[in-house]
Order: sequence, then C-alpha cells, then structure tokens
Amino acid sequence: MKAKLMKIPVYILFITLALIMLIPVVWLLFGAFKPDTEIISYPPTFFPHAFTLKNFTKCMQRIDILRYMVNSIVFSIGTTIPAILVNSLAGYAFARYEFKGKDIIFVIFLATMMIPFQVIMIPEFLEIHMFGMYDNYWGLIVPKIASAYWIFMMRSAFAGLPKELEEAARIDGLNEFGIYSRIMIPLIKPAIVTMIILSVNGNWNDLLWPLIMTSSSKMRTLANGLAMFVGVRTIEYGAAFAGASISLIPMLILYVFGQRYFVEGQATSGLKG
Amino acid sequence: MGKRIQGIRSYWNKPYHAAYLFILPAAILLLVFNVIPLFASFYISTLDIGIAIDKATFVGLDNYIEALHDSRFLNSIKVTIFFTAVEVPIQMVMGLVMSALLTKNTFTNKLFRSIYFLPIICSATAIGIMFQIILHSNVGIVTYWVRMLGFGKINFLYTPGLTMGVVIAVSLWRTFGISTIILISAMQNVPSDYYEAAYIDGAGKVRQFFSITLPCIMPAFWFLLMTRVIGSLQVFDLIYTLTDGGPNFTTETLVAYVYTKAFDRGSRMGYATAMSEFLFVFIMIITLIQYYVMSKTED
Repeated sequence: MKAKLMKIPVYILFITLALIMLIPVVWLLFGAFKPDTEIISYPPTFFPHAFTLKNFTKCMQRIDILRYMVNSIVFSIGTTIPAILVNSLAGYAFARYEFKGKDIIFVIFLATMMIPFQVIMIPEFLEIHMFGMYDNYWGLIVPKIASAYWIFMMRSAFAGLPKELEEAARIDGLNEFGIYSRIMIPLIKPAIVTMIILSVNGNWNDLLWPLIMTSSSKMRTLANGLAMFVGVRTIEYGAAFAGASISLIPMLILYVFGQRYFVEGQATSGLKG
Repeated sequence: MGKRIQGIRSYWNKPYHAAYLFILPAAILLLVFNVIPLFASFYISTLDIGIAIDKATFVGLDNYIEALHDSRFLNSIKVTIFFTAVEVPIQMVMGLVMSALLTKNTFTNKLFRSIYFLPIICSATAIGIMFQIILHSNVGIVTYWVRMLGFGKINFLYTPGLTMGVVIAVSLWRTFGISTIILISAMQNVPSDYYEAAYIDGAGKVRQFFSITLPCIMPAFWFLLMTRVIGSLQVFDLIYTLTDGGPNFTTETLVAYVYTKAFDRGSRMGYATAMSEFLFVFIMIITLIQYYVMSKTED
C-alpha cells in the first residue's frame, strides 16, 4: 500500500513531463489547420475551432515546398544508400580480416570522429567550391557518405558473427565480395535497418550542412528552406506551421513504425554529435 | 588477356588484399572530406580570404590576435561556456533520475520513454517554429499561462538574461530523452544478482542506486557527459532558429558567430576559421580528459 502511494508523485512527474514534451509538437500540428486569425487570437486556443487547409496552399504559394521536399528526399536517401555500402564494407574489413596496419588504420578512422564539423566546415565549403560541387546534389551528398561512426557500428555488428561462416563459404567457392554481400550482410539486417533509419532521420533534419552547401532556392531542403522562410520574426505563422508539419510527418511515421531502431541506434553504439 | 584478368581477380580475392579494397572507398572519402579540411583549416586561419580563393593574402597570426580583441568573439565564448555549464549538469541529473525511474521494461515505462525520446525526429527548424509561437510575446500559450498565474507579461525570446534560460530549456526539451535512453540501456546491463545481494543485506532502493547502479554505469555516464559537453560547445542550430543570437548577442554562441562571419555577412573565411580553432582546442582538451579518465577507470 505504501509502495503504491509512493508511486503517485512519480506518475505526476512522468505525466507532467510527457505533456511538456507533447504540447509543442501537437500545437504545431493543430496550428497547421487553424486559420491565421485564430493563431493570433487572444486568448490562444489549443484545439482548432475552425478547420482549414488554407495554410498549406499559402505555404505552397510562398515557397517551393514541393521542391524542398524532393531535395530532402534526394539528400537523405541519396546519402544513406551509398553510405550503407561504403561504411559496411569498411566495417566488415575491420571486423573480419587480418591485415597489415589494421590497428593503426582503425585508430585513424576513429580519430576522424573527434574532428568537430564546425571546425572543418569552412575548409570543406572552400573545397566543395573548388571541386565544382557547390550548390548541387554532389556537394550535398558525397562528403556525407563515409562516417567513422557508421563504420564503428557496422564493425561491431559483423564482429558478433561466428568465424566458421566465411571458411564454409570459401570452400563453397564464393569470392570475398560474395561472402560479404550474400552471407554476411543478410545476417546483420537489424544493424542495417538501424543505420538506414538514423541516417535518413539525421540528414532529413540536418540544418547546418544544407545551409552551407547550397545557395539557390531550388537546392534548399525542408530544414534550411523553412528556416530561411521563417526567420526569427515571422508573421506568417499559418504557412510556417503547415511547412513544418510537412517536414515533421514523414519522420513521425518512421518513428511510429521504427521506434525500436531509433532507440537501439542511440543505446548500443554510443552517440553522435 | 583473359589470364591476366583472372590473375588480378585472384590477387584481390585473397582475404589479405580484399581487406584493403574494402576500406579504400571510406578511406578516400574520410581523407578528402575530414582529414584534409582539418589540416587546411590551420592554413586558412592564417589567411585573409573571402569566397574568392584566388584573392587570399597571408596575414600570419593576425586573425588570432584580432579575435582576442574582438569583444563579440569574447562574448560568444562566454555565452557558449555558460550554456554548456548550465545545460549539461541539468541534463545529466535529469537523465539519471528519469532513467532510474524508467529502467524496468513495463508498458507504461516504454510509453513514457518513447514520448521523451520524440524530439529526435524534430528538426531544429520545426523546434524553432514551435517554440517561437508558444512563447510568443502576445499570443503564445505559455506566455498566456504564465500571465494567468500572475507573473505578468513576459517576453521570453527578447529579454536579455532570460532568453538564454529559454534556449537552455528548449535544448533540454530536445535532448534529455536521448540521455535517458542511453543511461537506461547502461542500467539494464547491471547484473541483477548485485541487487539481490544488496537486498538480502538490507539495502534500500536509494542506497542500491548509489552503491550499485551508479558505479556500474560510470563508464557510460562519463562517455555521455563528455559527448554532451562537446555537443553543447558546438551548439548552433537551435540558436539559429530560435533567437538568431539575440537579444543583444546574449545568446550568440561561438559557432553562431563563426557562421555569421563566414557565411552570413562579410564572408571573412580566414577570420572565422581562426575563431573556430579555439573551439577545436576546447574540444581537444575535453577529449584528452575523457581519454585519461577512461583509461584510468579501465585499470
């Protein structure tokens, strides 16, 4: 009985925090369907009194939101697909092969994780300029493919598999790439799915990178396009809410179905930035 | 000809050789887009350079000297350190308390965890838009509630002194769930017979937390702490979408100022790079401390 009573303040804490977490997000999603007059009415209303889709049409008139959406998709998926290949190959080599210089090469790879992006962003910007990759998909995608973080995560996933696997496969006549692609990759599917989800979500929401690497409005992603549209002192709240909802909903769906992977990605292989 | 191709194939098919092929793409990309820019940054910091690379002039350490006399730069360091020194300890304590309360995998615990973890899917842009409106000086719901509680009309985003607190609160809102999840997974790895033994010895829950849980999760706790410190020193996107450094530069962090100098106004790439090297030094010091502590706890 006493233990049960003790739990009440804990649950009050849980629920209060949950409300603090949810209200801003729900506010935003509801706001997208409120007419502008209601958004700026006083006192503020939580549930929409009048329901409208005008904010979405207004948002489309003011900015090329569909183009931003396409750019976000190209950037996040276009980065993730080659990233899986490049990083899992390297992770596989570090986990399953013995070769000269392996330890020192691995340490160098890991050391790149400690280079803060904010320190190299200006040289990288100048470099992308020099390569002619500025303000196009190449510059957005190629530098983001390789990451010591993913290599480290892939290495841990491959390291857990039994050693006899590749010996048996070699006897069966598979070549080295075949062993990797046909035997090993299918065995680490959960790690691959985790990487896909975290990588798509991370790139989708990334603000600083597209802000630096693009300049024309047709190259903007949702994250930086909306940020530039809204600024700090916006007056077009309805359109801003609609745009932000459009950027939020795909990731919300991903979260509902793939929540386990979000959690695993954070919990198992440390943290990112 | 066919024989030669076969020869090349069988050469690279040796596990020893294939390994090099497998790491090659990642190695090239990391070299070109991480390692070279790092070394280039030291050189660029000694140049007076804009976006036009061919018009660069060598100025030696002038950029560094200028930074040390730039009051806006010194202010941004102060702001960054203040942000880190306040945000990270609150974050760690919140994470510890919440993870201790939510360790068990019950249905309700899982539900609350997934709610606290939700901001991971929100871009800084979306977060900026949300909080700009709920904290709006006239029509914000939080402003309204605070007013109803009798605290008067507060302008959360444009009050020097207060706005930094708001930024810290929003940052906590955004990341404490991630810290909680990481600490939970560390706590779940503590062997349960430790607790059983402690229970038999008559240790209560609180005692168990301090004598068993905390020492056992120390490596994860340290790692999280250092990562949070490094992340906080680099804070940029929330500032950009929430306050843009205002009011009166009271929330302008180092990276926000570097960004402004390099990309927004002026485009002084060399000077901005020199300022970012200060960040590099801070982060290196913290990494070394982390390395030192970790190697000590392993002994």
